[in-house]
Amino acid sequence: MPQLGESIAEATVVRLLVKIGDEIRTDQDVLEVETNKATLSVSSPCPGHVTKLLVKENETYPVGAILGYLEATAENIKRFGLDEPAAGDAADEVAPESNGQASTEGQKREVHPTIRGLPVPANATGASYMTPRMKARMAELGLHAADLAGVAGSGAAGRVTIQDFEKFLTNIERSKSSKASTMRVAVADAMRRSWTRPLATVALPVCLDATLAHRKTCNPRPGPALYALRALAVALSENSAPAGRLVGNKIVHPTSIDVGFAVEAEDGVLVPVIRNADKQPLLEMTERYNELVELARQRRLPLDATGGSIATVTNFGTFGLTWATPIPLPEQTLVLGMGAGRQVPSWDAKKGQFVPVMEANLTLSFDHRVLDGGAAGRLLARIAALLAAPQDL
Amino acid sequence: MSVTYLEAIREAQAKALRDDPRVFIYGQDVGAFGGAFKATRNLAKEFPGRVMDAPISEDAMVGAAIGAAIEGMRPIIEMQYADFSTVGFNQIVNNAGAFFWRTGVPCPITIRLPAGGTSGSGPYHSQSLEAIYAHYPGLVVMTPATVEDAYSMLLEAVTIDDPVIFCEHKLLYNHLKAEKLPTEAMPTGKARVARAGRDMTLVTYSAMVQEALVVAEELSGEGSEIEVVDLRSVKPLDTDTVMASVARTGRLLVVGEAWPWGGVTAEVVARVASEGFGLLDAPPQRLNAKDTPIPYHPNLWAAHRPTPQSIGQAARNLLRL
Amino acid sequence: MVQAVVDREAADEASRSRDAFAKAYRGMLLARILDDKFASLYRAGKISGGAFLGRGQEALSVSVGLNLRKGDYFAPLIRDAAGRLAFGETIMDAVRTYLGSALGPMRGRDGNVHRGNPKKGYLPMVSHLGAMISVVNGALMAHRFKGITGTVGAASIGDGGTSTGAFHESLNQAAVEKLPLVLVVSDNQYAYSTPTDRQFACANLLDKAVGYGVAGHAVDGNDLAACLRVVGGAVQKARAGEGPQLIIARLLRLCGHGEHDDANYVDAKMKTAPFGRDCLKLAEESLLRQGWADQAALDEWREQSTQQVEVAVATVRREAAPDPYQEKWRALSSENLLEGQNEA
Repeated sequence: MPQLGESIAEATVVRLLVKIGDEIRTDQDVLEVETNKATLSVSSPCPGHVTKLLVKENETYPVGAILGYLEATAENIKRFGLDEPAAGDAADEVAPESNGQASTEGQKREVHPTIRGLPVPANATGASYMTPRMKARMAELGLHAADLAGVAGSGAAGRVTIQDFEKFLTNIERSKSSKASTMRVAVADAMRRSWTRPLATVALPVCLDATLAHRKTCNPRPGPALYALRALAVALSENSAPAGRLVGNKIVHPTSIDVGFAVEAEDGVLVPVIRNADKQPLLEMTERYNELVELARQRRLPLDATGGSIATVTNFGTFGLTWATPIPLPEQTLVLGMGAGRQVPSWDAKKGQFVPVMEANLTLSFDHRVLDGGAAGRLLARIAALLAAPQDL
Repeated sequence: MSVTYLEAIREAQAKALRDDPRVFIYGQDVGAFGGAFKATRNLAKEFPGRVMDAPISEDAMVGAAIGAAIEGMRPIIEMQYADFSTVGFNQIVNNAGAFFWRTGVPCPITIRLPAGGTSGSGPYHSQSLEAIYAHYPGLVVMTPATVEDAYSMLLEAVTIDDPVIFCEHKLLYNHLKAEKLPTEAMPTGKARVARAGRDMTLVTYSAMVQEALVVAEELSGEGSEIEVVDLRSVKPLDTDTVMASVARTGRLLVVGEAWPWGGVTAEVVARVASEGFGLLDAPPQRLNAKDTPIPYHPNLWAAHRPTPQSIGQAARNLLRL
Repeated sequence: MVQAVVDREAADEASRSRDAFAKAYRGMLLARILDDKFASLYRAGKISGGAFLGRGQEALSVSVGLNLRKGDYFAPLIRDAAGRLAFGETIMDAVRTYLGSALGPMRGRDGNVHRGNPKKGYLPMVSHLGAMISVVNGALMAHRFKGITGTVGAASIGDGGTSTGAFHESLNQAAVEKLPLVLVVSDNQYAYSTPTDRQFACANLLDKAVGYGVAGHAVDGNDLAACLRVVGGAVQKARAGEGPQLIIARLLRLCGHGEHDDANYVDAKMKTAPFGRDCLKLAEESLLRQGWADQAALDEWREQSTQQVEVAVATVRREAAPDPYQEKWRALSSENLLEGQNEA
């Protein structure tokens, strides 16, 4: 069907002027069609005979639809230049089906906006507003918003402008600086990412006498942190919910109780992991634990000995600290901390007097989105109870 | 000795007529009368037969210019006011502007538009139409802001093989003076940093450049250094110079005397936002005339267009962001 | 002796008339065959956009083309296939433009009747009617500036086009400048579907000549001999410096405004009126009647022209269409003034 006018999309066949088998001449009118502007005829491009007619009278066909077929001699096809694709040829190759019918059907999809309520005009002020230039410059330098924490903003409502930022960078250039080690940068990144969650810490003082007495009887001697690690593993094997991860509105439960422990190495921290710490008794873990500590200190931990733990234990008591609020690894909900033991007086109700006990703070720092103080307290209480019967660990 | 913007235009035409026998000037009252603004004073006498009075027929004037240009002449058409060029709009945009693209034969015509507002001139003697001509393909649009540019860009316009719309600002005609005419010039297509700055880039053209410089002086006293960029030609628009300036300052204010919708200011902001997004330390701003016809009464006229006061205010707002 | 000289001069004059008439007829015939070919290509869907024919106007149009010479300027309009070919446009240029060949004069950037070759003295029309007349004026002004004398500029316009502001401004301008402009108005009774009583109120378009202060000529647009004579006379006067010449030719458009239009609004009475007759047929009858050609000659001329057109169409159909990726998307000839906006 030719394009019979600028905005014409279809035409109705009003009369077929030839029939199958007819011999026709060049330019002979083959059928009459009606558009909304006029009644016109469609003619033959060369002599030949009609082999097929694909249209019916009083039916409407889109522009480009094939109306019929002509058989012509090879000589005529060549003579009228019909053998090669013509300079302006649009209509020839299009079959009726491809002209809009399939595409006009098809389900109507409901589209719901996912973004609502953007402020218009967008707010370009305030301490948290980052201009494209700021973002581009920070990306260039590999910086994050945390790196700007100390920069005072002179822009509207405290916005940090590019000038403020460049001034800050210039000042840094002037101060003495040393390159942060890869370890330091990695720890910084992990802590920054972890801190994006709301973290809380609870503590429980624990009597270590039984644990320390048990430890004296062992060879090799398990570190105090290993007792805490094993106790945490046992407690989590009883109820693993506190170590779950919140992803969206799901709590993802741990698949195996792999617990890591923090080891100071150079100017950072490494976290080797005891796999399935709930399934081995304490004494069978000791050798492996000591081995991992040594490897960590030498920075020779194999890859499969780190990562994948569901909780970490850190013994900040080795630094003499009695209290700390460690930050869990970004992929973990919990970190169990152990403070330094001290001899403190404890009221013995039976004896009616104060008696000396070795006491240390057990802290639990946790992602408060996953558990609250109550669950944290119960976990610590269970660990304390397990540490009071070390022979069962 | 000093020369005004208008005298520069007259001198440029005299030089063009003198140096190139193909040049002629055609427009209303340009002959013995010397033109409504005297831009062609004495030229008809000095160059007999080459400075011709046209009937009030902007369509035929431009059509004739096209025909003459194809046959080897270099016509300069003086529209009496930019506002009247719309009567010949079809010939400018559909005939002259499309001629080279359709035929491969260049169409070297120059059309001078006395443009821009002066107090009391009203809706039909004040318009700035550069954006409308720039929108159509095939035209060069010049908007000189200085006496020197009025001279050298008009000289260059006549030598360019394509249709040039030369928007000369009527307010600058007799108010803007320079010591002497230049001997060399920046080529068309390059914008000029009229004033170096640090805290903000103010892009503008034509008479608004002068207003912008006044504002920049004022703000300098307040501790802010504004960089003023004079586009010189609106098409081609020197995006590189604008971008380099915004790279230095991080803030952009574009000022134009024309109407807001789709104007030159919108074009500059669009380019900087899409190609220089990471250069912006604040949202780009623009300041235009109000979206109404240009009023007649001086009070209304003064409030309709950007002024040093409104430009200063817009600049301060942007600096405070 | 004197009588023999007079007789010989008369015979020469007669044979010149015969030759001129036959040449003009053959020009009309070629144009008609070419237009018919465009019509059938259009109906076969081989032409993008529109097809616009000059059927019924060949006598007038060929007269214009034949009376112009090299160095003159011509602004043909929609129905000037005959005039263009007579002035020197090639069949290939016409076919290439219609079929969208990249080798055509417009290289696919414009199509159908919007074609021309300014360097050869004929302009490609813009669609705004009347706009090209002042361009012809300008070319004539350039000739004057350059001291070129004896050239003439011709422009075609229709009855509808006489209503435009551009027509008015251009004719007035030509009159004020006393330019050698020959403005040929084909009053074919319709502007698309609009009859002349909705187009103008003056009794006769010829009255405009007085209004503009130019010479006016009326002619029967279907009478080839009259067209040759009147157009020739007007061109001569213009060439002699007598100022613009306005020619009003009366005829009937024998096709739709475009081939998408079946022109069913044309008053049936016009089709049977004297001015509704086909100028080509009338010219044929004249040739036969005056013994200037026999049917065999007519048939041979028709066959030759048909051949020429068919060969052209077959050739062009093998040519490449414009390639958007090879296309130089630039609207300015000054490369240094282009912006980078057209890059992908």
